[in-house]
Amino acid sequence: MEEVKAYIESGILELYVLGQLAPNERVEVEAMAAKYPEVKQEITAIEIAMEQYALAQALQPTEGLDKEIFNRIENTQAGSDHTESVTIPFKIADDAKQYESKIKTLRFALVACIALLVVSTVALYSSHTELGAAKEQIADLSSEKDQFTSTVNYMKQTNSDLQKIADMVDDPDWKTVRLAGTAMDPKAKMTVYWHIKGNHVMVDNSKMKLPANDDAHQYQLWALVNGKPVDLGVFDVKPDTTGILVNMKNIAAAQTFAVTLEKRGGSPSPTMDQMIVAGNVSI
Amino acid sequence: MLLFLYISKSLATTKKITFTEEELVNRLKSRDTLAMRALYDMYSGALLGVISRIIPQIEVAEDILQETFIKIWNSADSYDNTKGRLFTWMMNIARNMSIDKLRSKDFKNSGKNQDIENNVDFIDAQKKVTFNADLLGLKELVTSLKPEYHNVVQMIYFKGYTHVEAAEELNLPLGTVKTRIRKAILELRKYFN
Repeated sequence: MEEVKAYIESGILELYVLGQLAPNERVEVEAMAAKYPEVKQEITAIEIAMEQYALAQALQPTEGLDKEIFNRIENTQAGSDHTESVTIPFKIADDAKQYESKIKTLRFALVACIALLVVSTVALYSSHTELGAAKEQIADLSSEKDQFTSTVNYMKQTNSDLQKIADMVDDPDWKTVRLAGTAMDPKAKMTVYWHIKGNHVMVDNSKMKLPANDDAHQYQLWALVNGKPVDLGVFDVKPDTTGILVNMKNIAAAQTFAVTLEKRGGSPSPTMDQMIVAGNVSI
Repeated sequence: MLLFLYISKSLATTKKITFTEEELVNRLKSRDTLAMRALYDMYSGALLGVISRIIPQIEVAEDILQETFIKIWNSADSYDNTKGRLFTWMMNIARNMSIDKLRSKDFKNSGKNQDIENNVDFIDAQKKVTFNADLLGLKELVTSLKPEYHNVVQMIYFKGYTHVEAAEELNLPLGTVKTRIRKAILELRKYFN
């Protein structure tokens, strides 16, 4: 009991009532109060004294302060009573409003997207059509260009050939050998140019009158050198033959040029009964 | 303890609500606003007295009183009657709120933190103290406490010091401060009994 008395007299209970103790000290005092009725009684006596003291020094609050307080309290009360029934539907309504405006926005966006898609499709289609037309034009132009190119090439070749033929007149070394038709085809004829120093041999398509050969046969040019035939190469005669001059193999000396119709690729020796034209070199 | 709470005689003419402490606590915990009415009628003056000893500016003190009642209402569940009387619990809420305010930056910066030494005189000068006729002489009692008790009570009860801070401020051992608080309160007990 001495211990309890000392505890009471330490002043800790007053600090307890005044709210001056740390949580662990409070727990200790509460444990002591539960254990010893004297401690509990002492605390109550202190509390009553402090309460009386406070009541004795009461200050009347300004009139109307209670209304402010009770408005706040009753609002929280009303709020807690109706939180579920009022606040939530309000929230839903709020959400619905938000959704509505969202849907409106999305609808606008959708319409805008569709409009954009239509415009894009039209633009794409028209572009595609234009592209097709452009491609066709390009193809046309390309084929035209090819035609021009081939025409130009043909004309260049022709021009160059004609130039060569024209130049031959001024060059005494160029011999023009006219080959006449034989018994096989009396109407046939052709011209061979031979450069006696350079040994070049060319046939002139523009002055050629030979029947067109088929795919299995070709004409073969021969030079008769001291009575012996020497192969000068093969050539074709076709209705659409382009180019005027056709280069043949060179020959150093020749008295006669002759052409026979041979199997395609030529023969090592002429088939005499197939000789179609022949002509002597005039010195 | 079925102690009937009473209304101070000066307010007895107006209709006031009274409950026993037990009934009051039960109603408070079941969130009956009538309990709050009763508490206000019975204790608003006492609590404002406690608050204004620490915060003498009456408008600020009344703001704190308002917050105190809101807190009482909101934390009624945490009141445990085995640990003390309802008023002690409420008084400590009021004191803690006042001390928090006293120590808050905005309050310190507002320049309202005037010399608390004069608080009691300042309050009394407002002549709003509702001294009960029976209790005349209390002021004399408190001020007639031995100066060493008076200091400690002033600091802890009126200025919001902790007993540790008071010990440091008065340059006294903690045990001495505790004893002096006990002695001062014993004087009050003698007076009220």
